[in-house]
Amino acid sequence: MTTATLDKPSSSLSAQPVAAPPSTSARSSTPKPVGLLVGLDLGTNKSCVLAGPVGSTDITVSKVVPSVVGYVRDGIVDGIITGNARILFGEEALKNMLHVELATPLAEGVIAHPDAARDFMAHIRQLADPSGRAEIRAVVGVPANAGEQAREAIRHSATGIFSHILLIPEPFLAALGYRDDSRVKQSGYVDPVVNSLFIDIGGGTSDLCLVQGYFPTREDQISIAFAGDAIDELIFDGLNRTYPNNGLSMISVRDIKEAHAYVGPSRKPLEVKVVMGGKSRTLELGDAIGNACNKLIDKIYPALTTLISSASSDSVITLLQNIIITGGGSQIRGIDTVLQKRLADDGFESPRVRLAGQDFQRYVAMGALKAARAARENQWQVLLG
Amino acid sequence: MSALAEVLHRFDRPWIEVGRIYRRICFLRIEGQCAEAEKLEHGEFAEASERALGSCPPGPEADSMLREFLAEQGVRVSEAIAFAEVLVPMLSDRLSAAQTFPARQAPGGPGVRRARDGSRGEAPGIADFIDEMLAQDRPARS
Repeated sequence: MTTATLDKPSSSLSAQPVAAPPSTSARSSTPKPVGLLVGLDLGTNKSCVLAGPVGSTDITVSKVVPSVVGYVRDGIVDGIITGNARILFGEEALKNMLHVELATPLAEGVIAHPDAARDFMAHIRQLADPSGRAEIRAVVGVPANAGEQAREAIRHSATGIFSHILLIPEPFLAALGYRDDSRVKQSGYVDPVVNSLFIDIGGGTSDLCLVQGYFPTREDQISIAFAGDAIDELIFDGLNRTYPNNGLSMISVRDIKEAHAYVGPSRKPLEVKVVMGGKSRTLELGDAIGNACNKLIDKIYPALTTLISSASSDSVITLLQNIIITGGGSQIRGIDTVLQKRLADDGFESPRVRLAGQDFQRYVAMGALKAARAARENQWQVLLG
Repeated sequence: MSALAEVLHRFDRPWIEVGRIYRRICFLRIEGQCAEAEKLEHGEFAEASERALGSCPPGPEADSMLREFLAEQGVRVSEAIAFAEVLVPMLSDRLSAAQTFPARQAPGGPGVRRARDGSRGEAPGIADFIDEMLAQDRPARS
């Protein structure tokens, strides 16, 4: 009997070239990445990003960016776009709207254009970490009723951009962001996380949420697909009925709304100067704006009373004192007083509806950053990419 | 793997032994330990392959079977190393990340659901809220 001649590995393993795995000692010489935590309010119209280093309470980045991506059209002459960039974001995209195809990554609070969402997410990363070297973990707000498909779309767009992610409903993050942590242990401070009702009115959705010292269940949250964008459309339609062929874009209509939105009885005259066909004109928009914004009250109010009715009798009196409106919709004039009056007229006990205040665009992101700083290792989702 | 080699590989101890030693030899050579590999080849491997061939009906097919078997073992080593090339950096990054982001641990295990009475009591920590959220998500996904 013979013994087979043993081939050398170079031939016996010829099916695939073999390289030894990299030694761990070689890898240890590479610099350790900086850890960065990000709180992100990924909004339909505007997004807010806050960032800070791990192990610190500092906020190193705080930016509000219109959620829009502009893809530069073919044939644009060199030098028209700064740096001859191919993709613009936020204000830059809007400023150059003549030269770009505008894409909005989100619609009604969820990702509608995955490619644009991914580009936008990369831009957010660039804002948070201009060096591009940090390893980033992000807490991202999602609408209260976001399903698994909507969540997966966010995870997908963030893969390869952030290392870890955690998705948390926006109204709860708003409550966390609104909470003044330095006063939580002071007597007399009403902690919004203990017993409150948040109304977060964004561009795509209006989210209502009971926050009562435990994480809100599905029954504690209501998301309505009627918010800033829907109001824009109603105003746009009203304008076109009254002033046909006015030529105003949806972006101009949004600007008008942000300057003049109100709820309650008709405010007339409400005269707005616009440029139509190159000529300055004054339009009477009292009814168009009032009717559109009052529609929001009609949508929100039933959800508000549903949530109030579901609170326990022990907690409802305090809850009625802590109804807080945040998000862009909190800037609609009279929204707090109209909702409060309607609750009082319907017999609810001494309701008090408040506006979250000047940081209304940042509360969700602030809550998200607080959550990122508090999250335990096993709570993060790893994004393998 | 061929049907015959698979049978040999699975059920015949001498062949299992040959495979084990051969994989060791391949690995030593890749690591540059050629002297050690040579020693193994002329010692343990030679004895084991004699035993393996002895367990087969004599004839030219036995040598052929051994070659085929060894080639398969070589591919196994090659694939294992290719996999390690992917896995090792990934694990290294994960370990590095764990150091970059100091692990936070639950003080008393996962959050326990609190009473739904918002009128009294102190709010729990944010991490406890997240635990509750994740607990709610779990049944929805499964």
